[in-house]
Amino acid sequence: MKNSLRWGPFLTVLDREISRFIKVIVQTVITPLVNSVLYLLIFGVSLGSHIKIHDGISYLSFLIPGLIMMGCLNNAFQNASSSIITAKFGGDLEDFRVAPLTRSQIVWAMSLGGLIRGLTVGVMTYLAGLLFVFIAEGQILGIAHPFILILFLSIGGLTFAKLGISVAFWSKSFDQLSAVTGFILTPLIYLGGVFFTLESLHPWWQQLAKLNPLLYFINGVRYGLIGVSDVSWPMACGISLFTLVVFHLLALRSLRTGSFLRW
Amino acid sequence: MQSAFQPVAALRVNDLKKDYGKNQAVKGVTFSVKPGEVFGLLGPNGAGKTSIISIIVTLEPATSGCVEIFGVDVAQQSRLAKTKVGWVPQEIINHGYFTVEEILKFISGFHGRRKNKDRIDYLLHRLSLWNHRNKKVKELSGGMKRRLMIGKALVHEPKLLLLDEPTAGVDLELRLSLWKFVEDLKKEGVSILLTTHYLEEAENICDRVAVLHHGELKKIGPTQELVQSLTSRMIRLHFKREIRPLKHPYLTLQNQMMAEFSLPSATGIGELLNDLQLDLRMLNDIQIIEGNLEDAFRFILEQQK
Ligand SMILES: Nc1ncnc2c1ncn2[C@@H]1O[C@H](COP(=O)(O)OP(=O)(O)O)[C@@H](O)[C@H]1O
Ligand SMILES: [Mg+2]
Repeated sequence: MKNSLRWGPFLTVLDREISRFIKVIVQTVITPLVNSVLYLLIFGVSLGSHIKIHDGISYLSFLIPGLIMMGCLNNAFQNASSSIITAKFGGDLEDFRVAPLTRSQIVWAMSLGGLIRGLTVGVMTYLAGLLFVFIAEGQILGIAHPFILILFLSIGGLTFAKLGISVAFWSKSFDQLSAVTGFILTPLIYLGGVFFTLESLHPWWQQLAKLNPLLYFINGVRYGLIGVSDVSWPMACGISLFTLVVFHLLALRSLRTGSFLRW
Repeated sequence: MQSAFQPVAALRVNDLKKDYGKNQAVKGVTFSVKPGEVFGLLGPNGAGKTSIISIIVTLEPATSGCVEIFGVDVAQQSRLAKTKVGWVPQEIINHGYFTVEEILKFISGFHGRRKNKDRIDYLLHRLSLWNHRNKKVKELSGGMKRRLMIGKALVHEPKLLLLDEPTAGVDLELRLSLWKFVEDLKKEGVSILLTTHYLEEAENICDRVAVLHHGELKKIGPTQELVQSLTSRMIRLHFKREIRPLKHPYLTLQNQMMAEFSLPSATGIGELLNDLQLDLRMLNDIQIIEGNLEDAFRFILEQQK
């Protein structure tokens, strides 16, 4: 295959993904940021002053990495899925099929596009968090392990974008997409330890929570940012990478068996 | 096996079948488009034209049979095949977020041509979209949307172009300019498969046509030959004064001053006049009405019933 077909199509899909979310930046970045800020205000500042976390860490600082990851995951998922769904609606998803793009080019470019939006929201949530911690506690919220932080955000963003791809390719209507978001995704994220530590749970719930891969994603980010975690980070990393591989294969499969045809 | 003297077909469709559940939309269709040829696939709505095209561009899998583009099997080597073909769908595509120029850039990039400004600018001018290049699809008129879709299909300079009912619901002016464009593309050496139910147009621009009905190919051949073999020309002889009743196998109507004949296209008028042994001085006027594809088409469909 010609060399131009190796990178050209991939870069173009990536380009298209990024310019799409920039064109609707209010929906894609600003609204999610407002969401994060509301969580910071209500849970971090207002209710958080009554909640005690181990190691003398304030609840606000504990909450910030969870919110960063939640924003990153949600937006990576949203970016990939709404890009595909709107293209199904307009009919231009057929262009992807008719052009000499490989499935893996489409999956990688779309998941990278999702990750970039996820990271954008993540970084902005971090900056908002920085401001909140400074105002509430007069401290600068530094980053404990920058490499680990980026690593977990990247694995998480890619994984969720790939999930978004799968769901969108398999969806036959908007309803199916929102069912997956509402009944599976959001519960998993909320129960993945954004708002609480494992210790605070009944032992039985602890065991159950450990089956949720998002626990490892979120604790990885927490370790990267503030240096504390409910699970060891190498183990979290292993489980997260495994999840990434599974979702990558799932996304490839969705392109093979799902539909490019217009709704 | 292709011999050295027989160039590989631009498109070869071989015993193609497509079932949608129990509905057999395409029932074993075989034809090929020669390089540089304009080939018309004709048929009423529901004949299976779009289904065939969808299989060629891999939007739908074939139930059985195969399709080759310049010798490349679309199912086996779909990526290579896709670089050689451009497709203009029947339905308008809406790109919600992007402008005309962005859309062309993306399609070009999908084909590995990230730097293709010259070609894109050329097409924008050629398709009269230059002044609208920064508009989104929803801001375009119907004709502009059609032209954009043609631009999308041509941005990677394909050697085979598929036009699925390009003029359905398009006004006369645009239709004429589209046919002109098709002629120009043909001169550039692009092979074209078009589907239509405007027979008059197929007659004007197609080198060969095939007639598809209920998923089966009923007739295939050079346009003129098909017209001649399936249609008759009507001859009307007007006389200066009343004449005796005529006797002739092709006679369809006679009154005092006029006689009407329906001649197979291949039969000459001289032959007819000779047979009738008329005094030519009695003739006031001869009217000839040539048969057309529409008649041929109607004839084929009537044969089915
Ligand atoms: N996606 C589909 N699912 C089920 N049936 C279809 C589909 N597309 C076309 N058909 C059926 O196949 C037949 C041929 O349709 P089509 O190829 O669109 O014909 P044409 O383009 O000649 O009008 C019709 O009976 C149509 O109802
Ligand atoms: Mg059709």
